[in-house]
Amino acid sequence: MRAIPTLKISISGVRGVIGDSLTPGLLTRFAQAFGTYIGQGTVVIGRDPRTSGQMVKQAVIAGLLSSGCRVIDIGMCPVPTVQLLVRHHMAQGGIAITASHNPAEWNALKFIGGDGLFLNSGKAREMLDIYHQGEYTRVAGAEMREVERVSGATDLHIQKILEVLGPLPKKEKPLRVVLDACNGAGSLVGPRLLEQLGAEVIPINVTPNGLFPRPAEPLAENLGVLCATVKEHQADLGFAQDMDADRLAIVSEQGIPIGEDYTLVLASLQVLGKELGPVVANLSSSSVLQEVANRFACPLFLTKIGEVNVTEGMQKEGAIIGGEGNGGVIYPRINFARDSLVGMALVLHLLAETGKSVTDLVNSFPSFHLIKEKLPCPSSKIPAVLRTIRTEYAACPLDLRDGVKVTLPDGWFLVRGSNTEPIVRVIAEAKNETTARQIVAGIYGQVQACINS
Amino acid sequence: MKPLKIGITGVRGIVGETFTPEVAVEFSQAFGTYLDGGRILVCRDTRPSGPMVRAAVIAGLLAAGCEVIDLGISPTPSLQLAVARLKADGGIAITAGHNPSQWSALKFVRGDGLYLNSVQAEELLDIFHQGEFAKAGWDRIHPAIEYQDAIGHHIELLNRVFDVSAIKDRRLKVAVDCCNGACSLLTPRWLEEIGCEVLAINDDPKAAFPHAPEPKPENMAQLSALVKAGHADIGFAHDADGERLGVVTELGQALSEEWTLALATRIRLEEKSGAVVTNVSTSGAIERIASAHGSTVVRTPVGQTFISEAMIELNGVLGGEGSGGVAVPELHSTHDSAGAIGLILEGLARSGSPVSKLVADLPQLTMLKHNVPVEPNRLYSVLQAFRLTLEREQLPYDLTDGVRVELPKGWVHVRASNTESMIRLIVEADEPASAHHLLDWTRDRLSN
Repeated sequence: MRAIPTLKISISGVRGVIGDSLTPGLLTRFAQAFGTYIGQGTVVIGRDPRTSGQMVKQAVIAGLLSSGCRVIDIGMCPVPTVQLLVRHHMAQGGIAITASHNPAEWNALKFIGGDGLFLNSGKAREMLDIYHQGEYTRVAGAEMREVERVSGATDLHIQKILEVLGPLPKKEKPLRVVLDACNGAGSLVGPRLLEQLGAEVIPINVTPNGLFPRPAEPLAENLGVLCATVKEHQADLGFAQDMDADRLAIVSEQGIPIGEDYTLVLASLQVLGKELGPVVANLSSSSVLQEVANRFACPLFLTKIGEVNVTEGMQKEGAIIGGEGNGGVIYPRINFARDSLVGMALVLHLLAETGKSVTDLVNSFPSFHLIKEKLPCPSSKIPAVLRTIRTEYAACPLDLRDGVKVTLPDGWFLVRGSNTEPIVRVIAEAKNETTARQIVAGIYGQVQACINS
Repeated sequence: MKPLKIGITGVRGIVGETFTPEVAVEFSQAFGTYLDGGRILVCRDTRPSGPMVRAAVIAGLLAAGCEVIDLGISPTPSLQLAVARLKADGGIAITAGHNPSQWSALKFVRGDGLYLNSVQAEELLDIFHQGEFAKAGWDRIHPAIEYQDAIGHHIELLNRVFDVSAIKDRRLKVAVDCCNGACSLLTPRWLEEIGCEVLAINDDPKAAFPHAPEPKPENMAQLSALVKAGHADIGFAHDADGERLGVVTELGQALSEEWTLALATRIRLEEKSGAVVTNVSTSGAIERIASAHGSTVVRTPVGQTFISEAMIELNGVLGGEGSGGVAVPELHSTHDSAGAIGLILEGLARSGSPVSKLVADLPQLTMLKHNVPVEPNRLYSVLQAFRLTLEREQLPYDLTDGVRVELPKGWVHVRASNTESMIRLIVEADEPASAHHLLDWTRDRLSN
């Protein structure tokens, strides 16, 4: 097998494989670069339960303290909790230690600014420049501090959600929810939130030991156990989180995954039902979201892919709800971050307040079929692939902000290179599965032709 | 730029300059690689850079596949004693010992609780320089750190080794200056446990060093005043990590650090005869005390492990060096200032004499120490030039460590410091005038 690059230094952070490229020396240099970048301020750090988390955290602490930062360690918690706590402590930055959906051997640092948002590409480039130049602020020992350990970060997170949304309306029979936390960062906080909302919780995979009971991405093919558990317990729905608890997928009361893109759809339905305002999502989001916006006569703005692009778009447009089609819900009244806990609370409120089932809610929209595929492609060939597609579909409306998005008469598709792996990602949506498959098959042919040329 | 000293005593430098988190991480990776994973203890003294260095060390050890037990703030000898009890394969003490607060260092301890010897240190350095470290994969890396206390067990052993009931009966009043170092957590607690009335100063591990953490008379003025004002029977001064000890008599006289070992030797040889092990730059008074008690002295190069290993090999009854380090083999064969306190208090209790009397009839030699700062790149050319001068003058010299010359009126020892970029010069003679003459004689020949 061809060696796959195991270190990725990019504007979305640094990501690598433990025991290989992600060494403590590299991590401590990155933390020093970040500490230098934010100018010796306060930094909140948190981590997911990966087995390498403790090592990575200690390397990060060493780098931050060396550059004169005050470090607040909030322990094991979801990424959105780190983002919330950065704002709560009025810190100058945060570092989330998680490789989100990557397999267990990976870990990564994600850098958060003082506004609780991930560094945007401009800021990330400045930070990387400091990293590459290797001239870090190094304070004398007398200026160094002890790490402050703060417990109860997730309690604060739950409290904030309950403050804004309140508990579920009292019912004779509370909503019954199966939660699959993937043994991830949400393992300890998700069940508590659901109970405090007033739901009945059946938790699975809530042992945060760094062992992955299933692939971390909450894709339909990874949710077999959750689907079976929902059916077995006749639950009203199932929730699936990823390792860092920013993304959320939903399984219907029939035990069928409704597709990650429907998480933002249902959350938006709940939010717009209470309050009208702009919606922002990335340009790979399902057309169903447009239907929701249309239903309330609210504008929908599409941004480049990447959480920080969506959050910046939301700020610019004054959005009241936003997110990504991969199950990332951003509700600024609680947390300006993709937050699976917020997503769960919004969707449960929607079910409780409308009295409808997940299936009924999904069926109330025209059906679309969305396909996401990864096609292996050497990084060097990706520009050629994109060029070919631009030329081939020059007659259709093109959106070139992020890869190539082509709007076809009966659907749309998006082709983009991955930041993290030697693949091209293809997302295609059409009114029915056959059309969607045909679109993907066409692109597959183009990619193969480029690789072989 | 101030130097980073990488040598057999570990790695040492100024934090914020040469002693970076990368250096600490990589040395710890190298040590973890050297020990092939295994269980490693970590402790630190009270320097404010401690939390940074600790995090870097733990990251490096975990990455190399080690299991880490953190002893927190703890004297280095407590860690050395804990290695056996916790069945550890080694330890890293984060402390620059007697160096000023802005320094930090890593000291590497092996599975028998002693420091790496020079051969082992060379092997470790080789791994460090090659930069190829063991890397534990995600399924081998230890996901958590364990926390343990080492001080309680240290105190238990001290109580077992020394005649605690004799000390209790004397109801001694003991003044102690912990320099806000790691012994703040050990000495006052232990002395109270063994029935002493304790006058402790600078015993706050969260506070900065009140003076240089080197127990020399120039740093013991506060302790002398305390002994006098408090009518204490004796005063003890600690360094930052519990290796070196300074003594103040009941009259308030701060003794030279050379006298700590001399006093300990006298007390020990009165109870038990045998070989005393010390290094080549320690006072010749030790030989005179030993011969008065029918015992012998063995001299080693400078460096703790040389003394420890010779003590074990020769079944020595005491070890130590002129810097104030004393090793009592029943406790362990490594410098331990609490062990030195135990031995001296036991001596006071059994003899019933005041400490001033115990030191009064020790040989009165004059030792002078002088440091010559030298650029790191010139250290060894200066030493070589000195050797060539001696050869031209046809004077025999000893190269056990640095250059030692026996002259009719006394001896001269010249060597590169293990810890700082300087040449250390020590001369000793019977009379002060001869000692000063020897010092001038040496400086004339060190054409820096």
